[in-house]
Amino acid sequence: MRINHSFILTLFAALLVSCEKNSEIKVYRVSKAPLEQSGPQQQEMMPTNTAAPRMPGGLAPAVQTAVTTPPNWEPQPLSQMRQASFLVKGDNGAVADVSFVSLGSAAGNVLENVNRWLGQLGQPPITEQKLAEISQRLHTSLGDMTIVDLAGLPNNADPARDGRIVAAMMTTPDATLFFKMRGNADLTEAQKGDFLKWVAAVCDAQTQTGSSQTAAAPQPQTTGDVPPIKWTTPEGWAEVPPSSMRYASFSVPAEEGGKIDISVVTFPGDGGSDADNINRWRGQMGLAPVDANAVTSGVASLQTGDTTFSTTDIAGNKTRTIAAWTRRDGRVWFFKATGPAAAVEKEKPKFVKFIESVRF
Amino acid sequence: MLHKIVDIFTSLKLTIVCLAAAMALIFAGTLAQVHLGIHEAQERYFQSMFVWWPPDSSGFQIPIFPGGHLIGAVLLVNLIAAHMKRFRWSWRKLGIHLTHAGLIIMLAGGLFTDLFAVESHMQLAGGDTRNYSEDMRQTELAVIDTSGDDLDQVTAIPESALRHNRIIDHWSLPFRISVRNFYQNSRLKMLSQAGEGARPIANQGPGAMIAVEPAAAATGTDERDVPSAAVEILPKEGGSLGTWLVSDALGAPQTFTCGGRTWMITLRPMRHYKPFSVTLQKFTHEKYPGTEIPKDFSSKVTLIDPERSVNRDVLIYMNHPLRYRGETFYQAGFQKDDSATILQVVHNPSFIAPYVACVIVAAGLLVQFGFHLVGFSRRRRAIA
Repeated sequence: MRINHSFILTLFAALLVSCEKNSEIKVYRVSKAPLEQSGPQQQEMMPTNTAAPRMPGGLAPAVQTAVTTPPNWEPQPLSQMRQASFLVKGDNGAVADVSFVSLGSAAGNVLENVNRWLGQLGQPPITEQKLAEISQRLHTSLGDMTIVDLAGLPNNADPARDGRIVAAMMTTPDATLFFKMRGNADLTEAQKGDFLKWVAAVCDAQTQTGSSQTAAAPQPQTTGDVPPIKWTTPEGWAEVPPSSMRYASFSVPAEEGGKIDISVVTFPGDGGSDADNINRWRGQMGLAPVDANAVTSGVASLQTGDTTFSTTDIAGNKTRTIAAWTRRDGRVWFFKATGPAAAVEKEKPKFVKFIESVRF
Repeated sequence: MLHKIVDIFTSLKLTIVCLAAAMALIFAGTLAQVHLGIHEAQERYFQSMFVWWPPDSSGFQIPIFPGGHLIGAVLLVNLIAAHMKRFRWSWRKLGIHLTHAGLIIMLAGGLFTDLFAVESHMQLAGGDTRNYSEDMRQTELAVIDTSGDDLDQVTAIPESALRHNRIIDHWSLPFRISVRNFYQNSRLKMLSQAGEGARPIANQGPGAMIAVEPAAAATGTDERDVPSAAVEILPKEGGSLGTWLVSDALGAPQTFTCGGRTWMITLRPMRHYKPFSVTLQKFTHEKYPGTEIPKDFSSKVTLIDPERSVNRDVLIYMNHPLRYRGETFYQAGFQKDDSATILQVVHNPSFIAPYVACVIVAAGLLVQFGFHLVGFSRRRRAIA
């Protein structure tokens, strides 16, 4: 009996020591990370993959009950990310999934998300120009929503459950709101009207219930607690309406085609490290990130009146970005010009004068 | 035959041989740390069945000495077997039984710790929230299916698979991954800054503009390897999507489309996800006046666990770790400019074993010496 025990123990010990840690491929699911890795507002948004119970700008609980949904929309259990979820059933087993997700304000721009949805439908990505052609606006009490209607069936997908996405997206200063209906193409088409009404109703209810984070309309940041600043607009720069994220926008046509996009953006806080921001801009230009030393050597100071700006000049293959930023009074201000390399080179003196003219 | 084997496993000579081998192993392993660094030396000498020669060859190797796992396991079996063979219950031997039991628990606990404990780090800047910790000594290739609405599906391929499997074929992926090059430590340079003749090892993404130079493995305790690899994506229906450079030095993941889905691929420190999240509220670092010597550093964090409805603030500081759901968060360090705190996260299912073992051994010794003391005093009284 004792002999058997000895052998069992020997075998057990041998089995134990033959285990190798961390040698297997693991598969798991995590909450979706915002597409943009390190936006200037990262300190204010929930970070990627967090298991926090509520995302910023989340749907106020009262809103769930205040909005009437079509009778054939069956409420579904909510996940960590979803603040509203419904299943719509049609004829012949057709279904569509309706969801409302709220992420941090740096959860990618419209084009990135539309291309992600196109990827889900097995379709190739589109350009900004094409997006402008296919997208529509839906006016809500929270501001204008971008609406897209995308069709396509991925390989091996069930046409009863997939084939079309109707989505509405909006970025507020605190959150990015995604409303989405995905499912059978015919059913999604039939439900599109109800879906858009529901989107508008949710936004209205959100405003009425005074949800602290999404109630603010995505107006340009020239209102509220953002202090006004002044500058002299250089000759040839056309002011364009700022988006919800921008304090001001300018556009300069380039001789070789295209245009230079000049933006003024401000955020509370320090807006992240210089390395994060520069590497994000490099990523937007298709360039590899650089280490902290390279970032430091690529940043120069520019003294204007009582303000010191940090500046950088990033040259890509065909595009170029010049940027200046400064931190004062608990806010960070970014001034950035991006466009075709030759055109940016030509506009650089004007950009420098523009920065020198800024008065806080 | 069987009796001979039993005799060997229960002999005191085997105990002496094991202890001598352990001493020699510790001596050799300590010297090896000079060249290999502490972690590599631990893996090769103590967390292995054998010490192999030649050490760096990926081809034929021969075992030249028993490793820590083998010596520990034989010692454990020897101790148990010898005790069982000679076990005769009597109250007078209670102390010896307890002492042996304590030693067995200590040895088994050490083995379990070595096998199942996971050490990782969580680095948090002010306001940051994380629900994962990272093992800076282990690397994984994360292939992320981003097509889900709410969740990303991550296929995490460990470094060992990248080293050994030239082609990785997994059910969760509609493509195979062919590992073209793997560098445990490397330096990345833009092609324009690299010397003449430098060639990229990838043809897709930013890697097509980057040259990779192999570097010697980091050996210092405060140094880290920068692993890099070139991986070719081969759809299962045939063809190739191209070769990507993945590296710990590249910041953002890279994306590509395959099978109608968008994928992200990145080489990163191995992640251990938790069912809860930790947010850094405030990091405090006090120094002795007029010096740079740390006096005290602490992290005030908020622990949020939706499953258990936990949402509370915790102060983590020296000798006051946060213990939660089998994980222990120690205040381990901080970034040089105090911009972030570094918490060591230890998951050790057998952390209690050394405490229990010590108590049992102490009790055993007390009983054993107590019996002797009582017997001695009785004899003395009888003589008197």
